[in-house]
Amino acid sequence: MESIITQFINGFSIVAILMLAAVGLAIIFGVAGVINMAHGEFIMVGAYTAAVVGQLGGNTFIAIPVAFIVLALLGLIVERGIIQWIYDRPLDTILATWGVGIILQVAIKLIFGAQHYYVGAPKILHGGFPTIGLLPFPWYRLFLIILAIVIMVITYLIMFKTDLGLKVRAVRRNRTMSGCLGIDTAKVDMMVFAFGSGLAGVAGAALAPIKSVSTTMGFPYAVDSFMVLVLGGVGSLWGVVAGSGLIGEAETILSFIYNNVIGKLLVFIFIVLAIRVFPKGLFGYQERT
Amino acid sequence: MDRRKFIKNSAVVAGTAAVATITDFPYFFVKKFAKAAAGDTIKVGILHSLSGTIAIIERSLHNAELLAIDEINAAGGVMGKMIEPVIEDTQSMVQVFADKAKKLILEDKVVAVLGCYTSASRQSVLPVFEQYNNVLLYPTLYEAQECSKNCFYTGCVPNQQLDDFVPWLIENVGPKFYMIGSNYIYPKETNREVKALLKAHGGIDVGEEYAPLGHTEFSTNINKIVAKKPDVVFSDLVGDSVIAFYKQFAGFGLTADDIIIATPITTEQETLAMGPENGIGHLTSFNYFQSVDTPENKKFVTAFKAKYGKNEVTNAVMEAAYFQTFMLAQALEKTQSTDADALIFEGLPGQEYQAPGGLVKIDEKNHHTWLWPKIGRANEEGQFDIIWERDDWVRPDPWVDLLYPNKDCDFTNPGVLERLKSDSKDRSGTLEKIS
Repeated sequence: MESIITQFINGFSIVAILMLAAVGLAIIFGVAGVINMAHGEFIMVGAYTAAVVGQLGGNTFIAIPVAFIVLALLGLIVERGIIQWIYDRPLDTILATWGVGIILQVAIKLIFGAQHYYVGAPKILHGGFPTIGLLPFPWYRLFLIILAIVIMVITYLIMFKTDLGLKVRAVRRNRTMSGCLGIDTAKVDMMVFAFGSGLAGVAGAALAPIKSVSTTMGFPYAVDSFMVLVLGGVGSLWGVVAGSGLIGEAETILSFIYNNVIGKLLVFIFIVLAIRVFPKGLFGYQERT
Repeated sequence: MDRRKFIKNSAVVAGTAAVATITDFPYFFVKKFAKAAAGDTIKVGILHSLSGTIAIIERSLHNAELLAIDEINAAGGVMGKMIEPVIEDTQSMVQVFADKAKKLILEDKVVAVLGCYTSASRQSVLPVFEQYNNVLLYPTLYEAQECSKNCFYTGCVPNQQLDDFVPWLIENVGPKFYMIGSNYIYPKETNREVKALLKAHGGIDVGEEYAPLGHTEFSTNINKIVAKKPDVVFSDLVGDSVIAFYKQFAGFGLTADDIIIATPITTEQETLAMGPENGIGHLTSFNYFQSVDTPENKKFVTAFKAKYGKNEVTNAVMEAAYFQTFMLAQALEKTQSTDADALIFEGLPGQEYQAPGGLVKIDEKNHHTWLWPKIGRANEEGQFDIIWERDDWVRPDPWVDLLYPNKDCDFTNPGVLERLKSDSKDRSGTLEKIS
């Protein structure tokens, strides 16, 4: 029983990791309507940014904002260079972003080589604090939980308390009408794409110290993020929270009772059943057309 | 040679070989081709991926082989001729290996090929080497349970990494083992043998677990491990998982003093990538570490760094790639012939070489290599301190005696050779030990 509680607490850190990884994808998908297949590679580039910052003497606290800026710029380039021409062809955006992902992987491999890179956690976050379980809870995982909450709050504030957020929500609800009312929808799409990409960078930089940094690291995060979106519902922040929470905790507990492979399998089955009942996800909304 | 001529020639050779295999016609046509090809240099194929996902590892092997060829040529080459490496890039794609191997054998007429890294790539080229009767030298540690007349395996097989390691751990660290591995064949086979060894030496199996390939979230596994209170975590995780596991293990405040991680996989490359502070004190079993203190190794490491850069690291697979090149040169010198059968039956079997990790020998019977098992403990620089070393070399046993008591290959026994010919498709099948 004690172990299960430990596991439940530990699950929060996994939920936080999922939330960090998924939120950027959710925003881009929910507002701009683009399924960003390069999302995993964006996270990977964020992790490599952290590796570079580390080599230059900076730590995670510096790497996170730097990665946000680098990836926001990268997102901007991708959006202006490719995506803006094909918004009305959703299938092509999938192919195009997939291509972007492959290009990023190869480019990073050319620049950095294919070996794993080392990114350490900041000294201040080494070690952990005692909990009721057998192991101390690592400070770094607590930091990830706090970071995930902060990111969600910031995103919420931008979406619901700013002028830009109002426009974004308007475009999300009804693009044509928003355009007619004078909102520059192309600019909104651009901002959203850059912001979502920046969040992927934050995820990469924040996860690098506890994960491995390699050119192929992005794919599993992309899969997990898509699962969160499918379960939680597209385009809703609460969907990201609910999707991450359910998947993260379920996978943690099930992996503990059975093992990782069965844990993942059961979660996937659960998601399939959930979509059957809630085709739009738990927090999906009906579009007005 | 232009393209059309090449296609024509390959067709002729392929046709000849096909006739030869079907009617059991002597191989003299093929032999003539091989002789005609031997000009002023001796051509040796280098078959590794220089681009694609596993390029970084395979390039290091390709580098080690080229370094050895440089050294051989600097000392006068073989049979009075220089060795000419013929390099092919297999692009990390399994299907490319077989095509490039064919090209090396038929167009370039190499006497032998040094190459491959993964088991999948080796398995895809073996039929080519068997069909055209050429020689492959393969440097990777692998799960064994395979023999081929045309292949010489210079990396570790499980008995050389585990038979001493597991009993040593039971005696010096503790009897309780928790096994964690990536979810595919190599870790599962390895753990089968670990379990057999635990049983034989009084160890206790307290848990066994597999994570999907590429899995990087190990907090759950670590909680489980701690709950079971093992003395040793035996890890056969590979790739990204290795680094994430060690990092998170240390992240939960666990050190080698609490629970030791023991593995046949983690090399110098991984300890550097995870950050040496996360690997300190954990154990790896191999026949070679960069820190091996022999004059041959000093020379190897110095020469490698001089040629490829001072930040380069050497590891066991690279050492095998390096010494197998010298063994090939010695075998050619011994037989004074570029004929494949001469290499296979006289040149390579029993060949010895003073390698960086100690004296090595190719087994006459099963074509694997006698090596010196060592246990290394990772230190704060990411290198391994060798804390135990066997005082004798160990015979390679592709079918571990504990699990397959009566199985082995024997290429010195004509009866076995006949059977090999008759069912060359089923290499991994059963070749009962005939003695």
